[in-house]
Amino acid sequence: MKSWPKIFVACVSTLGVAACDRPAAWLTDAQATPPLTVTEAWARAADSGATTAVYLTVDNAAMVSDTLSAVTSDVAEDVGLHISMAQNGTMHMAQLRALPVPAQDSVPLRPMGAHLMLTRLRRPLVEDDTVVVTLTFVSGTTIEVRAGVRKP
Amino acid sequence: MDRRHLLRIITGVALALAACSDRPWHGTRLDPALAAPPLTVAGALADPATRFVLVEAKESLVVLYFGYTHCPDVCPTMLSDWARAKRALGADTLGVRFVLVSVDPPRDTPELVAAYAQQFDPAFVGLAPSEIELAVLMRDWGIAAYPEGDTRTNDYSVAHPAQSFVVDRQGRLVLMIPSGVRGEELAEDLRRLR
Ligand SMILES: [Cu+2]
Repeated sequence: MKSWPKIFVACVSTLGVAACDRPAAWLTDAQATPPLTVTEAWARAADSGATTAVYLTVDNAAMVSDTLSAVTSDVAEDVGLHISMAQNGTMHMAQLRALPVPAQDSVPLRPMGAHLMLTRLRRPLVEDDTVVVTLTFVSGTTIEVRAGVRKP
Repeated sequence: MDRRHLLRIITGVALALAACSDRPWHGTRLDPALAAPPLTVAGALADPATRFVLVEAKESLVVLYFGYTHCPDVCPTMLSDWARAKRALGADTLGVRFVLVSVDPPRDTPELVAAYAQQFDPAFVGLAPSEIELAVLMRDWGIAAYPEGDTRTNDYSVAHPAQSFVVDRQGRLVLMIPSGVRGEELAEDLRRLR
């Protein structure tokens, strides 16, 4: 997946238009509660060269929806947004082009569903290690996520 | 938790205790149980531990899953649930064998699958059937497994059965475990089959 250019917080969000009236107040508000946050991030331990997954929850506190559109990480040769699903008793995986995060909602990426897939790990991921993954949203927001590594 | 919900749980537990023999299984019971199809994996010549013949595993309960080691989400979740079930079973785990059968012969070697399964629990068995053994297995077990995505690269994924199978001591296929069943629930089912 291609990485999008980093854009800084000040011009991040779709709240930007409203902010023109009173930029100072908006800036303070934005710093107090960032519209997009990531919680519960963890990665599954795996050997070097293996394929594994990162799970997390994206919370959107803003009044407008956003869309996760790109995922990058140095830890693997390829990183993608994926989903597992059962169809007639058979498990499949499919690539997701983007993941919408509705306004004032949260989207969990948990085992047996949507996940960030790390393909061909550049190093082994061992318990208590940390993996850094960068999420890019259509609004321009980028979030650097530190995911703790847990046992397989 | 609201009180109505709590009440429902208490009632549920009471009903379950009252009708212990009728309490539902977490997996899907096969009734009547059928003789399990054969399963033979020759494995690596140099390593007898990578060989497995299901009919020779009589006297133990066998939990089987058809997956692959490049599976990032579903297979490791199933195997972690197995590990949790095994811990929950404690001493009762004697006589229960957990076996992962790879459906990805191009990438999975006997050594790789064995090492992969043992990451979850040192007692777990990981098997790598050859292409021919796998074709026979899929026919006999009536299961589907096939590569998906870009198979020209090494990064394809493999569609595989969503459930695990449980074969009892008499060699009968008695239970299918859907992927949503958690470790503790699997342990309960296995305890009833012992
Ligand atoms: Cu995936």
